[in-house]
Amino acid sequence: MPANRYCIKLGGESGQGINTLGILLSKAIKSIGYNIFSYREYPSLIKGGVASYQIDLASKYIASSSKSCHILVILDPEAVHEYLHSLNANGILLYDDKQVVFTQEEQDWIKQNNVHTIYLDSQTIAINAGGSPIMSNIVMTSFLWKLLGFNPEDLTNIVKEIFASKGDDVINKNILCLNAGYNASEFKNEYLQNTLIPEQLKQENSSKILTGNDAIALGAISAGVRAYYGYPMTPATTIFKYLGNTYKETGILIKQAESEITAVQMALGSMAMGTRALTATSGGGFDLMQETISCAGITETPLVIVLAQRIGAGTGVPTWTGSSDIHTAVKSGHGEFPKTVLCVSDVQSGYILIQQAFNIAEIYQIPVIVLTEKQIAESLFTVETLPQPLQIQRGTYDGESRYTITNTGISPRWIPSFDKKPYLNTSDEHNQNSQSTENAEEIKAMSDKRMQKHATLLSNLPEPTLYGDPNVPTVLVGCGSTKNPVIDAINEGMNIAYLHYEYIFPTKTQALMNLVSSGKRIIFVENNQTGELGKILTEASGYQFKEKVLKYDGRPLFLEDILNIQI
Amino acid sequence: MAIDINEYNSKLKPTWCPGCGNFLIHMSLKKALSELNITPSQTYIAFDIGCNGNGADKINTYAFKGLHGRAIPLSAGLHLANRKFTVIADLGDGACFHEGLDHLIHAIRSNYDITIIIHNNQNFALTTGQATLTTDEEKPMYGLPDSKPERTLEPSEIILSANPSLYARGYSGDMQQMTELIKAGIQNKGCSVIEIMQLCPTYNEECTPQWFMQRIHKIEDTNRTLEEARKVGTITDESINTGIIYRNTQLKTFYELLENRKDTQTELVDEVKQYDVQKLFDQFK
Ligand SMILES: Cc1ncc(C[n+]2csc(CCOP(=O)(O)OP(=O)(O)O)c2C)c(N)n1
Ligand code: SF4
Ligand SMILES: [Mg+2]
Repeated sequence: MPANRYCIKLGGESGQGINTLGILLSKAIKSIGYNIFSYREYPSLIKGGVASYQIDLASKYIASSSKSCHILVILDPEAVHEYLHSLNANGILLYDDKQVVFTQEEQDWIKQNNVHTIYLDSQTIAINAGGSPIMSNIVMTSFLWKLLGFNPEDLTNIVKEIFASKGDDVINKNILCLNAGYNASEFKNEYLQNTLIPEQLKQENSSKILTGNDAIALGAISAGVRAYYGYPMTPATTIFKYLGNTYKETGILIKQAESEITAVQMALGSMAMGTRALTATSGGGFDLMQETISCAGITETPLVIVLAQRIGAGTGVPTWTGSSDIHTAVKSGHGEFPKTVLCVSDVQSGYILIQQAFNIAEIYQIPVIVLTEKQIAESLFTVETLPQPLQIQRGTYDGESRYTITNTGISPRWIPSFDKKPYLNTSDEHNQNSQSTENAEEIKAMSDKRMQKHATLLSNLPEPTLYGDPNVPTVLVGCGSTKNPVIDAINEGMNIAYLHYEYIFPTKTQALMNLVSSGKRIIFVENNQTGELGKILTEASGYQFKEKVLKYDGRPLFLEDILNIQI
Repeated sequence: MAIDINEYNSKLKPTWCPGCGNFLIHMSLKKALSELNITPSQTYIAFDIGCNGNGADKINTYAFKGLHGRAIPLSAGLHLANRKFTVIADLGDGACFHEGLDHLIHAIRSNYDITIIIHNNQNFALTTGQATLTTDEEKPMYGLPDSKPERTLEPSEIILSANPSLYARGYSGDMQQMTELIKAGIQNKGCSVIEIMQLCPTYNEECTPQWFMQRIHKIEDTNRTLEEARKVGTITDESINTGIIYRNTQLKTFYELLENRKDTQTELVDEVKQYDVQKLFDQFK
């Protein structure tokens, strides 16, 4: 059981309700000085089925979810069977529906684990307080708030803020319900959780909570992205949502295209014309984009795609997490051409790497794929500030021929303009003057020129970052969301170091091989079935890595998954 | 004063079969640009893959020879980034009605201000003569000794079903008319579809210049309802009408309908710079 955090889980009927409540609670807990990390589990359907919203809180920065929670609030009778076993021993189960019927197994489990069950007739409390039946959720939340030992004014402030647009009547009724829940007679002092809850920070709290996709969208705006072309697919869609909802402030052109094929072709066209355009998708949509990645490769047109991963082949498990498209990204597109794959792990890296992606795409005139995962894309992170933005680098310069052969492999590329020489970008193999060619020497020369950019880029990319004490014998290796529970485990005192890859391809291997040759025990930790990052690193280094911890059940790597690794 | 047509020529000579309609289509495109005084540096052509696309390196304008079936979305992306450019999508019937049919329909309904030139030679020519939806139903084709089992579809029906801003049909043997139609397409504000009935003596040998001459009727550029346009646009055994078949001057373009771009004078290409996101960040709580 991790010591420095406390975990709350809400379980209910799938739909907007539980999400809204989760965000409200996240904001309230954050507002009193905690760092939170919130994670959603929900099915791929609009109504019916159960969903959960889990909030981990700590006094220090955290970015991972616990496997089990201290308190489980059940808002729909079905949800109890799904989530009961995620409670800790001695935990509290709070529920508000008489229809909750525990199976014999559940009753035994509750007894064995010394779980306190509290039934609260929240609807009656809400109605008696002058509210409506749906305000029973607020009754439950404020009762929970009392169990946590928090001050009711802090919750009241957030409720006022969240319902501000709904008018005074709604706010007042909600506050009446809030007070009624807080003062409900079902409360007993022995339930108080404050001894389990980490101390809150005393200083003024100006931190914000935002998702990984919010960060990518903000980074894109900062980097001068002026067009977004999209097609809905979880977990990429919220980038579209954020850029769409802010389009009046930013002036960004938003287009919902007829398919991912179209979205990425439009992005390619807009980039060729000289603006910055973005598209984002998930696995299936990314497959459709691959012909265009190849086209960007040979035409040497900058292109940036966000690939937000979910688990599974085909349609897979649409609303669940994993990182099973690393290999697809690295190998994407037919033929041989240079590309770059970057891997986001949190808000900071999402904000910076999308900016980096545009700089690399433009300087090297290549496609760049920015990987993220559902666990990053849709989870709420606590952050104080955003990092300093990167300077925009476009790498454009005038020349005679569009595909001039140079030492770096980088040819002149100038933004189309009425007073400049016109040129042809062509996906036929071509010579320096964009003429289609079938000549053996020309084919080889142009292929070599293009691939030279891979070498140039590789020499300019950073090695992966080592976190933790470099003197410990065991080093975990990973990318993307793996970083978050591993760093949290290090902060819990686990005796490991962690080598984190943000730049996956082209692949730097020096830092890793130094660890290998110094005799460290290397363990790959990945949220997929076959160790996709490990395969890429083996291909680049020639070294076979022996130990892998792989998880591919749609769930993220929980903090306990790391703490349980035998070291 | 028109621009010298040689300005639009690259150093390479075209490579099509003798008698191929593509020669005059490309010539008409260059003539249209020159007569409208649109310089090579003011033009951006998205070429598809096919015999028509083999003209890409024979024309000296900004151009992008991309992928089969994708010239239309590529040109939409080019256009939206800088609307000062004259953007043209140049593609075959295979590209337009097979690989990229969805793009055609959505480009028309989105009404981007681009001109789409379709080289309708009634077959996949570059892959040596497979059947398309415009190929004659009785005609044996590559790999289909007893002809295609699918029905023929009329491009005019497909195009008009989406209510285009402008739809015209030309014939690759009539350069003067083609030039006028392409000019009308470029000048029209909205998505203009110019279908050219293209001679392909190699894989559509039945449809000779004489065959076309017996059937072609030039029609007037008058106001027509969609219903009337459908009648005029239908190709029968006896007649193929050419000219401007349909115009809809009421349609707004995609860009004009963007609420957040209404008061913006600049183009997307002019706006790439660092933006301060602090205010947006502060909206998160
Ligand atoms: C994705 C893809 N599929 C198939 C091809 C092969 N291919 C090249 S040209 C062509 C057909 C071209 O037909 P059309 O568009 O009518 O042009 P035409 O050659 O008749 O001018 C095909 C199928 C390709 N290049 N790309
Ligand atoms: S095959 Fe047909 S379309 Fe292709 S070049 Fe020859 S005549 Fe022209
Ligand atoms: Mg054809």
